[in-house]
Amino acid sequence: MLRTALRNVLAHKARLVMTVLAVCLGVAFVSGTLVFADSSAAAYRAAATRNFAGVAVTVSAKEPPPGTAAANEPTSVLDDALVRKLADVPGVAAVRPAVDGVATLNAADGTPLRADKAWAHPAGAYVPGKDGKDSRYPLVKGRAPADSGELAVDSGTAAAGHFRIGDKVTLATDGPVMTKQLVGIVTTKDSRVTAGGTLALFDKATAQQLFATPGHYTDIDLAATPGTSQFELAKRVTAVLPADRAEATTGSAQATQQATNIDMQTRGYKKLPMVFAGVALFIGSFLIVNTFTMLITRRTREIALLRAIGATRRQVVRSVLWEALLVGLAASAAGFVLGLGVASVLPDILGTSSDPLPRGPLVIGMRPVAAALGVGVGVTVLAAWLPSRRAAKVAPIEAMRSAEQPPSAARSRIRTVAGLALLVLGAGLLISLTGAKDASEANLQRAMFGCAVLVAAMIVLAPALAGPVIRLTGRLTRRFGLTGRLAQQNALRDPRRTAATAATLMISTALVAGLAVLGNSTGQALDQQATAGLGADYVIGTRTPTLTIDPAAAQRVTDTPGVRTATAVADTNVTIGGMARSISGVDPATVKDVMKLDLTSGSLADLGPGRIAVSSTVAREIGVRAGGKTNASMGFGPDRGFKQYTVVAVYQDNPIANDVLGARTEVQQHSFKPGSVQRILVRTDKGTVSKATEDRLRTAVGNNPLLQVQDRKAIVREKAGSMGDLLTLMYGLLGIGVVISALGIVNTLAMSVAERTREIGVLRAIGMDRAGIRRMIRLEAVTVAAFGTLLGLAGGLFSAWAVGSLANGAMKGYSLALPWGTLLLICLLSLAIGALAAALPARRAAALSPLEAVAES
Amino acid sequence: MTADPFAPHALHPTAGVAAATTDLSKVYGSGDTQVTALDRVSIAFREGEFTAIMGPSGCGKSTLMHCAAGLDAPSSGSVRIGTTELNTLNDRQLTELRRDRIGFIFQAFNLLPTLTALENITLPLTIAGRKPDQQWLDRVISMVGLSQRLGHRPAQLSGGQQQRVAVARALASRPAIIFGDEPTGNLDSRAGAEVLGFLRDSVHELGQTVVMVTHDPVAAGYADRVVFLSDGRLADEMTYPTPDRVLDRMKAFDGRSRTS
Repeated sequence: MLRTALRNVLAHKARLVMTVLAVCLGVAFVSGTLVFADSSAAAYRAAATRNFAGVAVTVSAKEPPPGTAAANEPTSVLDDALVRKLADVPGVAAVRPAVDGVATLNAADGTPLRADKAWAHPAGAYVPGKDGKDSRYPLVKGRAPADSGELAVDSGTAAAGHFRIGDKVTLATDGPVMTKQLVGIVTTKDSRVTAGGTLALFDKATAQQLFATPGHYTDIDLAATPGTSQFELAKRVTAVLPADRAEATTGSAQATQQATNIDMQTRGYKKLPMVFAGVALFIGSFLIVNTFTMLITRRTREIALLRAIGATRRQVVRSVLWEALLVGLAASAAGFVLGLGVASVLPDILGTSSDPLPRGPLVIGMRPVAAALGVGVGVTVLAAWLPSRRAAKVAPIEAMRSAEQPPSAARSRIRTVAGLALLVLGAGLLISLTGAKDASEANLQRAMFGCAVLVAAMIVLAPALAGPVIRLTGRLTRRFGLTGRLAQQNALRDPRRTAATAATLMISTALVAGLAVLGNSTGQALDQQATAGLGADYVIGTRTPTLTIDPAAAQRVTDTPGVRTATAVADTNVTIGGMARSISGVDPATVKDVMKLDLTSGSLADLGPGRIAVSSTVAREIGVRAGGKTNASMGFGPDRGFKQYTVVAVYQDNPIANDVLGARTEVQQHSFKPGSVQRILVRTDKGTVSKATEDRLRTAVGNNPLLQVQDRKAIVREKAGSMGDLLTLMYGLLGIGVVISALGIVNTLAMSVAERTREIGVLRAIGMDRAGIRRMIRLEAVTVAAFGTLLGLAGGLFSAWAVGSLANGAMKGYSLALPWGTLLLICLLSLAIGALAAALPARRAAALSPLEAVAES
Repeated sequence: MTADPFAPHALHPTAGVAAATTDLSKVYGSGDTQVTALDRVSIAFREGEFTAIMGPSGCGKSTLMHCAAGLDAPSSGSVRIGTTELNTLNDRQLTELRRDRIGFIFQAFNLLPTLTALENITLPLTIAGRKPDQQWLDRVISMVGLSQRLGHRPAQLSGGQQQRVAVARALASRPAIIFGDEPTGNLDSRAGAEVLGFLRDSVHELGQTVVMVTHDPVAAGYADRVVFLSDGRLADEMTYPTPDRVLDRMKAFDGRSRTS
């Protein structure tokens, strides 16, 4: 039977191409995403390891045990004396002292570079070795910084910031803005920089001033002589180090640590492709099953002939399985190669220009290979098995009489009943969730299960739904006259095939529509939440919690044209009612201008030293009302005492006001940097929000790249940071769904054009022109696509509504908000895909000669 | 059947020419595998005449019909329908010519399975975007006896009924000429006789022009004229044929298989 199978495969090249394409694409997506995941993990690890390539041991300072060191004594022992001492340790080949810190740069146009990635702004000292060069930072242009007015950056930063040698560059490390002249451009292997960060280099003295204390280093890297192990060297170095004040770590340990850190930071990138792979696998399986079902149906006659001349059922099935195996193997191989292509372009698609993924060679592990074979061969053989069994069951003579085998009514009835049962189960589960109060793990699992069951129900019910839905869309297609009517009826001719073809589009539409609705609703809720309590038009804040705003800047902001009120806010901790909470120090006179506070009792005008206001939650938890008294302790550190405060007001919970409000004059004394402020809330004249205003505000705070000036929209965007991932996911899924669906539609149409050769010939013979034939096929494709889209939309919207009630319990202000634009886009895209997918089959159909009608019999 | 005002030209041998071929040749393949299907065939089909084209298998009778009907392009020579030269037409014009001036009846019926009988009958008119002439349509439908079956789909009709639908479809647009390719080939003799009767009636009562390819002497007996083709050439012609005379003439094509 193997030979028959092989002959069969080769005899029907056109069919072969389609099946192979279907399998190939499914395999490509799965293996591609897996290879990508492996490769990017390897690239991160390589970047991390490369970073410590020449480092055998690193000596770093240790925090002195509390209470042992006097406050003013320099804590670091990493000075030049230690460097000389380390150089004498046997086995040390080279000593490279380093001064590492963080610096954020402004691009030439004054906007902060890569400001959203706090970990990606390494800065350090250019420490020349014996040859006058720092081997870690090879210069590509200019020279090394030599005094406190000079700076070098890496080439990527220079390009991103549009810097040229000689430019003045503004930057900040932890406080005020500095301006330095760019004198050199270097390259680096630091993975934080190669992954998209910025690097700023100063001369040694300046770096020490900024990041350590004069004459001290933050780390000292040691290279080992050949034959000395890292571990051995670390032991020897530890022996000469002052215990308690410095420690030695091997390079490999640091590399491992860094790889782990980066892995954690970038885990999201890997989750995403896996989701894509899963969806691609699921939808791809449909395509494969569908294609094979059609192939076998087409061959019913042939199989019947084999049966008639004496082949047993088993032989027939086996022959088909062999064929599937061969096709599966070939297509999997091709798909895997295609998958490597997918893997190599995924970094471009997933990474953005401001957040690129690291590059590295493709890593081909066992997992993608196994997955490719499993998906390609496994699914193909399975897909072939079911229809081949059905075909083998057909009585030979019956199959030879007519090629078309309408599915038995009993089978459709069973299918419909099963589908309805699933529908009731899925919808019931989802509806039961609408009463849920919270997004607990159990509820989420029920929601996922409910959605899965619902999707299964839709797939099973699709053939039964095809009739009514397509008759509905037929009202539109009928406007195209005869071609529209024929298209509609052709789509209805085999509801199961139509349903199977539309299934891929249905699933992806359901997924995407559901995500879009959830995303939009969540976004709106976040939107409301983030700005609900905000009366100000702008918020000036710091990028990292350890930074503060110079109180003088608040005055400059107030004096900025267009600003009506600017209130500095000091944020710190307060322990109240036995719990650490956050307190905001405000100016009682202006607080009402910049915060929308909903007072339940008391008056904010009474705020002052010793007098605080609390949120309703805090009031409830500690059992206090306006006019009551409570003990609290403001600030950080162990040596603060509790003090009695009078509660002058209680306000509804407000994310802008935090848990407790106090007078700024008092609160800012308890800041981690006493006297500092953390936020400036700005109210503009007439609430104007414009780029010009923003620029003026930025100027008022000295264009400090460490400070951010955000309007309401920007605040919402920041809060909704994770929504960006959701969007990527959504469009990725839509893309996969659309590509696979398009292929499915091409497949189905090509098949039905082949089946209807004679009909098309008749239409041509009795006078339909080529354009009419093309329109007919295109409309059929659009009908199928519309069917899938409508069903998917219905399922997606229903699920989003049900799952949304979970979010309703978990998130304040959540309500179902339909993203009409996105939904419309999904619909249009699906229809366009239908029309596009029809192009090839339509052309083939139009090219058919009218003679086919008479010639083929 | 009674005399009919719609058929003034019945059996007028001097009437105009509905279609004609001049030196029509059709060659398939090239070199060693070259086959000459038609060899300089010149023939005219007169208006209001029922012509049967006969000949042994492979004599080129189907090719002649395909070329004459504008379904296939000749290698050389010319075809005209009425006064229109087909080789001057592009694909679109050819399509419109087939739609408006030619009717087809195929051996395998070739109805669209998704359309009802009535929709199939009016299909050429629908494609052309024309309103059917209701009076004419009623006549045609009643002539082929389908009045009670108009809402049925082809699958619900017998073979004979399906071919009657096909005949009605060919007549519906009142074409200049109807071509039939073995129209009774898939029918039993009773249903075949019915269809042939309708074709003859359409010629004699409605003044249609019909050209039919067949290998069945009985079918040819319904025609006004039989032309015999052999090896791609016009071999003989017979007017007022009877099945016996046709059979005798066919036997003269010695030694060749007549099965198809």
